[in-house]
Amino acid sequence: MLPIQIIIGVISIGFFIVTFEFIRKRHLREEYAILWLATSFAIAILSLWPGLIDIISKITGFYYITAILIIIFVFVIAILMHYSIVISKIKDMNKELVQRYALLEHKIKELEKKKS
Amino acid sequence: MDKLKQVAVIIPAYNEEKSIGDVVRGIKRLGEGYIPVVINDNSEDRTTDIALAEGAIVIELPCNLGIGGAVQTGYKFAKENGYDACIQVDGDGQHPTNQIPKLIKSLFEDDYDIVIGSRFVMDSDYEISFMRLVGIKILSFFLKILTGLDIKDTTSGFRAINRRALEFFASEYPQDYPEPESLVFAHKKGFKIKEIPTRMSNRMYGKSSITPILSTYYMIKVMLAMFIDLFKK
Repeated sequence: MLPIQIIIGVISIGFFIVTFEFIRKRHLREEYAILWLATSFAIAILSLWPGLIDIISKITGFYYITAILIIIFVFVIAILMHYSIVISKIKDMNKELVQRYALLEHKIKELEKKKS
Repeated sequence: MDKLKQVAVIIPAYNEEKSIGDVVRGIKRLGEGYIPVVINDNSEDRTTDIALAEGAIVIELPCNLGIGGAVQTGYKFAKENGYDACIQVDGDGQHPTNQIPKLIKSLFEDDYDIVIGSRFVMDSDYEISFMRLVGIKILSFFLKILTGLDIKDTTSGFRAINRRALEFFASEYPQDYPEPESLVFAHKKGFKIKEIPTRMSNRMYGKSSITPILSTYYMIKVMLAMFIDLFKK
């Protein structure tokens, strides 16, 4: 085993444990957790089976480290984009809720005034 | 007019305890049919107490939504409670309440969907900083290119809208730069828009939220938002 394999292996295990802890403590919803579990799983496989990289290279034609970096970059950008969409949606829903809440609270106060 | 029209005067307010009393009193003086509705955008001061004491309807937002979200809350209120029209008036006192009937009259008699109280259409002696003037001119030009609308005062929040427009804005209203952006929305809906001169006073208290340093950045963002609005579904 090469030192780099050990390092990546430790990182992937650490990543897996952290992800699992977040799910357990309910900081992460399962739908997002699956993505991160899959990511840590992929890192683990690559560290245990370095030959896989060669196989992937042969299939896809990505021989250069820059090509792999680009893939990682696109992956990260896609995740960030996904989060922006989620945040926008949540902000919109939050606005609707705040408005509805305020209108209902006003209605309740009016009804209470009428009663007394 | 056969039946007295019910007009909700929507006053978005964030920490306006110094001026809100005068604004509400000014609206009360207009007589029947004009109902002051203060939307308190999560102020930390006594805005709600003062507005209630003056006899306004007060709706309190539990979080700060900004001007767009606050005004839209007012439109939702008007829609649900069967108002015939809305007019938006700033809580800081820069929109003279005695001009409200003029805007409303034009809305109903000339059958417009939106009537904007403008600082620039003749007969107005509003003093304005050079930077702001340039900014508003650019926005006006940009709006004309985008939509063909000829509106001089694109950032004026002093505007009356009828039932048709308020029903639309209750469900769809821009949040970030509501004044110029909502004109693009209105254009897409085919609303009839008119601009009439009003006398505005300079802000009585407080400072404009747009500082000179940020205004360039603001302009770029507004124009980008307006451009995107044109293509929104």
